Amino acid sequence: MASYIFKRLGEMIPVLLIISFIVFALVFVAGNPVALMLPEDASQEDIDQLTASLGLDQPFLVQYGKYLFHLVQGEFGESFRYNTSALPLVLERLPATLELAVAALVLAVTMAIPLGIWSATKQNSPVDLLAAGGSVIGKAMPNFWLGIMLILIFSVMLGWFPVSGRGTLGHLVLPALTLATGLAAEITRLLRSSMIEILNQDYIRTARSKGMREGMVVYKHAFRNSLIPLVTVVALQTSTVVGGTLITETVFSWPGLGQLLIQAVHTRDMAIVQACVFVIAVLVIFMNLVADVLYRLLDPRIKYE
Amino acid sequence: MKKDTLLSVSELKTYFFMESGAVPSVHGVSFEVKQGETVAIVGESGCGKSVTSLSIMGLVSSPGKIVGGDIRFHGQDLTTISEKEYRKLRGNDLSMIFQEPLTSLNPLFTIGSQLDEVILLHQQVTKEEARQKGIEMLKKVGIPRAEQVYRSYPHQLSGGMRQRVMIAMALACEPKLLIADEPTTALDVTIQAQILQLMRKLVKDNNTAIMLITHDLGVVAEMADTVIVMYAGQVVEQADVFTLFAAPAHPYTQGLLASTPKIQTIEEELQSIEGTVPTQETMPKGCRFFPRCPHASEQCVQNQPSLLKIGGGQLVRCWLFDAKEAASG
Ligand SMILES: Nc1ncnc2c1ncn2[C@@H]1O[C@H](COP(=O)(O)OP(=O)(O)O)[C@@H](O)[C@H]1O
Ligand code: SF4
Ligand SMILES: [Mg+2]
Repeated sequence: MASYIFKRLGEMIPVLLIISFIVFALVFVAGNPVALMLPEDASQEDIDQLTASLGLDQPFLVQYGKYLFHLVQGEFGESFRYNTSALPLVLERLPATLELAVAALVLAVTMAIPLGIWSATKQNSPVDLLAAGGSVIGKAMPNFWLGIMLILIFSVMLGWFPVSGRGTLGHLVLPALTLATGLAAEITRLLRSSMIEILNQDYIRTARSKGMREGMVVYKHAFRNSLIPLVTVVALQTSTVVGGTLITETVFSWPGLGQLLIQAVHTRDMAIVQACVFVIAVLVIFMNLVADVLYRLLDPRIKYE
Repeated sequence: MKKDTLLSVSELKTYFFMESGAVPSVHGVSFEVKQGETVAIVGESGCGKSVTSLSIMGLVSSPGKIVGGDIRFHGQDLTTISEKEYRKLRGNDLSMIFQEPLTSLNPLFTIGSQLDEVILLHQQVTKEEARQKGIEMLKKVGIPRAEQVYRSYPHQLSGGMRQRVMIAMALACEPKLLIADEPTTALDVTIQAQILQLMRKLVKDNNTAIMLITHDLGVVAEMADTVIVMYAGQVVEQADVFTLFAAPAHPYTQGLLASTPKIQTIEEELQSIEGTVPTQETMPKGCRFFPRCPHASEQCVQNQPSLLKIGGGQLVRCWLFDAKEAASG
């Protein structure tokens, strides 16, 4: 297992290289940020001078080479807005985003597992129909709209939770719920269909023929098998969740990566944009690795290589 | 050997409630299994053999439902007992082996844990004792390197080995009745013979009765004491194995045997009986076999024959015998 993880970590390197290239190319295409850095009445001379001093007048590949050289040292350049190195700024915001994303994932999974199992074992019961309806609505609601609605109802009208910011557990509830809703809908749907399929398998009939309680059959034999598709969907949804944090953090003024990234885009603070995108990419790749390792732990039919 | 009745199924009706309407998969089936006896059930695919077995196990799942009749096991009517009482029987006094050895074991658990499960459910033993017993059962069903297999996962074993594991599981709690639903159909011929021999030996040791469902008349001849022939959800003939092969009474049974010079399976030889099993839509109102029967008369088309004793314990559902009875009586 350790060697497998090691091998997979090694495989991340070319992927990261490609990502670094794309990130760099996108920023390059976005144009010269120098104009924004200088006062509006700056002369063309000043602009040229700063461009040259930042190395922005050099050919694309040379710039990329330099960028890569710095990158392997964890150096994304300086944020001109904060006048410090970009990566520490980004990493400083990372815990807030992770907190939000993990809370949303945990919330989504704890809502979806009982709902999915219940819907599958009691098909067409009121709970099943309610869950099905809820899933459609949950998936259809855009995060920004849901976030604003939750703020209106639970913060403004009822005053149960703070409107925005980070700090207490209370601050976490609404943004996590916003992010979790669509995710829970997706997981419930998947779990329902995979449980229905699994409950029709021959080995479930075998378990029943042993005289096992139906609850045990469902949780031990069926649910254990549905963990495999469950891990897949959660891993696939990670990028959606991270994407969702951009909007959700902005709506709730959550001081995370997403908020920082959106601000940086507005101000063309390219060092920060690059560092953010890069960190997010690493996160997503890492989650995929975690999912792959989990498969191997869950399913004895998959061999380590 | 005591020959008390162990299982008595009478007028069992199991229907599937489909959107298009109710499908009577098992339609008034009656038979008995005595202690230590091997009863073979034969019949074409779709005639209701598996549904009959699952009905006895109480494992017919929605949209299927037992709608009539009763199933007495040790005198207790299984159609009326609680789910909890049923669970005490399943895997214990009443166990079943299925047709699909490749998919009947959970891929995520070791052979050992699946074997121990049934032992721990029904016997007051510690985990360690269950493990010992599990390994002992694996040895009993002729699995080499039992300790190693005990720790293996299903995908690491061949189909024959997996079916042996299923047999070990089914026999772990010394059942009174073992239902074997085509236990060897999915296996190749040499393995089939081994598995059957194994089953015969194990049940002899414990006086276990077997309800053996099979396509293979060779297997019937070799294993069965009594044979039940099913057609379209009904029993059409029942006889001891010698009578059935020597003097088959029902035209359907005759058709099966006439075209069986050597050991052959029913599916192969049925091509010599013209036509196919009727479906729900084409189910005749009279004798269900009449569209394929060489002896069919007007009466057969109009009215359903009932299952009648014709002497020597032989039962037949056919107007030919009903008429004779009427004439002679
Ligand atoms: N799960 C099910 N859903 C609907 N119909 C079923 C189901 N299982 C069995 N049946 C019906 O019951 C009939 C008998 O099936 P079965 O007992 O499996 O036949 P076999 O004699 O081959 O074992 C089939 O023709 C089918 O129409
Ligand atoms: S009742 Fe008539 S149709 Fe049916 S098997 Fe007998 S002779 Fe044939
Ligand atoms: Mg069958």
